[in-house]
This record gives sequence, C-alpha cells and structure tokens, in this order.
Amino acid sequence: MDILSNLAFGFGHALTPHNLLYCAIGCTVGTLVGLLPGLGPLATISLLLPLTYSIDTGGALIMLAGIYYGAQYGDSVSAITMKIPHASSIVACIDGYQMTLKGKTGLALFTAGVSSFIGGTVAIVVLASLAPSLGEVALLFGPADYCSLMLFGFCCVSFVTTGSLLNGLAMCLVGVLLGQIGTDVESGVQRFTFDLPMLSDGVSIVSVALGCFGIAEIAKNLDAKEERTPFNGTIKLMPTWPEFVRIIPSALRGSVVGSVLGIMPGGGPVIAQFAAYALDKKTSRYRHEIGQGAIEGVAGQAAADEAAARTSFIPLMSIGIPENAVMALMMAAFILKGVQPGPNMIAKHPDLFWGLVASMWIGNCFLLILNVPLVRIWLSIFRIPYAVLYPTILFFCCIGTFSINNNFDDIFITAGFGLLGYLLMRLSLDPAPLMLGFILGPMLEEYFRRAMTISRGSFSVFVTQPISATLLACIVLLAAWQVAVPIFRKRMPGPDRRDGAV
Amino acid sequence: MPSRSLARGVVLAALSVLFGIGALRLPIGRLSHAGAGLFPLLVSGLLLVLALVMIARSAVAGSDPLYLNLKNIAVILCGLAGFVVCCRQLGMAAGIVWLVFVAALAGTAYSWRRNLVVSLALGAVALAFQRFLGLDLRLF
Repeated sequence: MDILSNLAFGFGHALTPHNLLYCAIGCTVGTLVGLLPGLGPLATISLLLPLTYSIDTGGALIMLAGIYYGAQYGDSVSAITMKIPHASSIVACIDGYQMTLKGKTGLALFTAGVSSFIGGTVAIVVLASLAPSLGEVALLFGPADYCSLMLFGFCCVSFVTTGSLLNGLAMCLVGVLLGQIGTDVESGVQRFTFDLPMLSDGVSIVSVALGCFGIAEIAKNLDAKEERTPFNGTIKLMPTWPEFVRIIPSALRGSVVGSVLGIMPGGGPVIAQFAAYALDKKTSRYRHEIGQGAIEGVAGQAAADEAAARTSFIPLMSIGIPENAVMALMMAAFILKGVQPGPNMIAKHPDLFWGLVASMWIGNCFLLILNVPLVRIWLSIFRIPYAVLYPTILFFCCIGTFSINNNFDDIFITAGFGLLGYLLMRLSLDPAPLMLGFILGPMLEEYFRRAMTISRGSFSVFVTQPISATLLACIVLLAAWQVAVPIFRKRMPGPDRRDGAV
Repeated sequence: MPSRSLARGVVLAALSVLFGIGALRLPIGRLSHAGAGLFPLLVSGLLLVLALVMIARSAVAGSDPLYLNLKNIAVILCGLAGFVVCCRQLGMAAGIVWLVFVAALAGTAYSWRRNLVVSLALGAVALAFQRFLGLDLRLF
C-alpha cells in the first residue's frame, strides 16, 4: 500500500502541466537525437544537458530521463529500419532488420514499441518497490565498502563495455586521474592545473562528455565516409491478433531479465538485450525462427532494453553509485541541480524521486503514442545530409560548453577532450569507462582517504569488512575469469583447428 | 605502420608518467593522513602497471595496424578554436560562419550555399537561445 500511495504522490507531481511538457519534450528530443547517426544515449544526454540549466530541478530531471529513454527508443528505430545501431541497439539489428528485409518493418516497430512499454512498466514497479529498501541497505556501507563497490563497478563496466578488463580498467583509471584536475578540497592545493586559471575549478563533466562522445564521434564518422541510405520501404503498423499474442510472453521474459540486469553493477541495456535474446532463443516456442526475423527476436530484447534503462536508476538513486556511464552522466545532472543521489535522497526529496518514477510511466505512454504512429516522420531525419548535421552538432557542443560558466575558454577544454577521445577511439579504447572513472574519481578518493584515516593507514580494512571483502573477492574472480578463458580456449581444440584450418 | 596494441600501451604509460610526476610534486603525506598527491600517485602507479602489461602483451599478440587520419580532427579543432576567437572579437554570428565553413572542409562534398543556409539557421537558433533561454550570447 505504501508503494501505491507513494506512486500517487509521484503522479501528483509528474502530472503538473509543466512537468508533462518537460517529459514530452525530453521524449521527443531524445528520440530525435537518438536517431541521428553516431549519437547514442550518452552523447545525446551530454549534448542536451546544458538545455536544462534554466529549468527547475524536478522538470530538468524528468526531461533528462525522458531524453535517455527517448534516445534508447530512437536508437532501436534506426537499428530496425536501416541496421544502424548507434550504441545500445545492437541486438535489434538482428531480427529487426531481418523483418524489414521481409517487408515487416511496421510490425517490427510496433513490436519494439509495445515491448518497450511492457518492459518499462514492469521496471517501474521494480524501481518503486526496490529503491527505498536498497537505500536502507546502503546505510550499512562504510568508506572501505564504498571504495570496493566503486572498484567492482569499474571492473564490471570495463568487462561489459569493452570486453577487456585490462583496457576498460585502464580507461577508468585515466578518468579517475582526469577527475583529480583542479583544487584538492581537503588541502586547497592546486593539482595538475599547469597554473591555468580555467583549470583551477577542475574540468567540467560537460566538456569531457561533449569532447569524448560528440566531437570524437563526428571525426570518426567523417573518417568512415559512409553514405547512409534513407529508409524508403512501406510501413504497415498494426499486427494481426496471432502476431500480437506472440509479443506478450517474450516481452514479459525480457522485462524480468532487463529489470534484474539493470540493477547489477556494470549492467544496463546492452547486456540485458543480449541476455533476453539468448533466453528467447532457448525458451521461446518459436526459437527456430529467431535470427531470421522473428517477432520474439525483437520483443524480448526491446523489453529488456527499456526495463534495464529504467532499473539502472536504482543503484544511482538508492546507493548514490552510478553503475554505467549513462547513469554517471545522470548523476552529474543531479549534482548540477544541487541534489546528491544516495540513501538519503528519497527521504530528502520524495517529490523528486517519486515524481521521476511516475514520469517514467508517463514517458512510456508518450513514447508509444508519439513513436509508433509517427515513425515515418522520424525516419525523414535520415534524409538530412551528414554535411548539415555535423556542423550543427559542433555548434551545439560549443553552446553547451559555453553555457556552463559563460566562458569561451571552456570550448578549448572541450576541443582538447575531442582530440583525446578521437585518439582513444583509434586505439580501440572505449571512452565510456573513462566517463565513469571521471565522475566517481573524486568520490573514490574521498572514501579512500576516510577509510585510510579510520584504519590508521592499514589496507587490511578492505579485507576485514565483510561487504568490502565480498566485493573484492568478486573482482578477483572476474580477473581470474578474464585470464583463464583465453587459456582454456587455446587448450581446447576447436573443430576448425582439428581440420587444420586457421 | 605502428601496432595499435603497442601504441595503446605507450599512450597510457605516457599519461601515467605525466600524472605521476605531477603527483610527486604535491605533498604526499602518509597513508593515515594523505596529502594531495598520494591518491593520484597510487592511481598513476596502477595505470603504469596496466600499461606495461599491455606493452608486454603487444609483443606476444599479432600486429594490428593503427589507423590515424588526423586531417578531419585537425579541421574540426581548427573550426572550434576559430569559433572562440571570432566570438570574442566579432560576436557569435561571425563565430558560427567560421565554424560552419571551416568544419565543412572535413566533409566529402563542399557547398558554400549549403554552408550559408546552415549558418543562417544556426544564427536563428542562437538568437532563440538568447531570447527564450536567457543565454548570454552576443551575436554581433
């Protein structure tokens, strides 16, 4: 009953005319930008973060959340119709694009829309039930536990986003070091500022995000010189009853998988999609059709994608630790608005928390109403030549950076991060873990210093505290897994090796 | 062409050395009472270890050539730097024109007419931001 009354309280806030408007704007703009080539949810949020500066806190967070799941949806539309996944809709390409090739684009988009709605709804129930109780668990955490939790998050994100613990962890550490630039809050000493006044307050998260994900992505796309063909097929949206019935079980399975994986450190939409797809391939009645354009191949992953996108808010809002790069950016948005996510957030700002939860369901409805019937209009975005798009994106990067401090010098910092991001991309180093390290770095240092002060300089505190010791043991297992798998693969003769093929 | 995996290790090692040297110039303190330089020194040390492992692994792994096309990123950075200078000296309208016309050099097809239209449209967007969102943008 508590949840119902809390949700009613949240809907009271989310259904005010201006919050409804911000939610609608967020969903629309998110879908629009999410469709653009090379712009996934991470780039979209960083590009549009400055737009929320002049909006009140509740409205800004509702709009940013709308941008996030709107961008997720936009991403899946481009994946289904043109096999262009940006960041998060890799799995949607498999069966979604196969359905397009069979002339069932409308059905694929309808399936994705309805499944996302189901996934989002299930996830909101999970979010509303779990976040407050997880917040109470977070109060048991001490400084050493928080340090270990962040390190565990680094390892999980590294493993999931890059596939290589070594590369991802290195990027997290680079991010942590970049987060040290500026004035040390405890001693007032300037660190790594090279006596430049513009660095004394540290580097802005917006500069890092726009540089690494906006500018670097543009340069990479220009290097590729890809010509994108606009979608010109026919779209028949409404499915038949037997087709509609096939969507539901798969979407429900995907919702559960997505809701669970969204909460795990390092989890999030991408891994949830793969897991839901794999589960459907094993358990669905139509598993033999999956991979060749089956409804289940779209429904499960779309529901998991949307569910994970929403439940990944749980660790952020209840523990105060973002579990992936997008959530790290959302955390930056919370902090910019003067709200510290963590165990006390729900108690201190119940209107923000429950308003955001309720707005997610309203956003779900907006996405369904806006996107399914209006998909043809969205697809016309692909007719805009990239030669027009990228100078426009660059302009928004400049305005976004400038508007933080009304200082043009910040654009030089963004440009610098653009160069760094481009070099890292060319070195096959994913900037997403860097972002997480950058945001969590100052917090990690604070908790590390506190843990060391309490333990009088002894590292044993990390293994004597049960929570911390468990998390460190998980890190060791993850590292051992990463080392062991290639060795086992080399030792086990594969069928191709037996044949002598390379 | 240099190996990508070797370059990866070398770049990360260089970054760790850069931050490590910077950290050594700061007060280090003790573990129980850390100075400003202790934490970055520990992190850069850990990064150096990872970078050295990457370099060692690159010697074992097969060569994976590094592809770098610095022309496009250089053009974009030139556009951004010029945008700042123009905005300071002449106003944002000039900055937008510079940004669009220079950045377009990185594309495959250059059209001054299209650039002009894009510049005008972005000028209108900047004006809207100034009037409706209250951003402090000086157009002229």
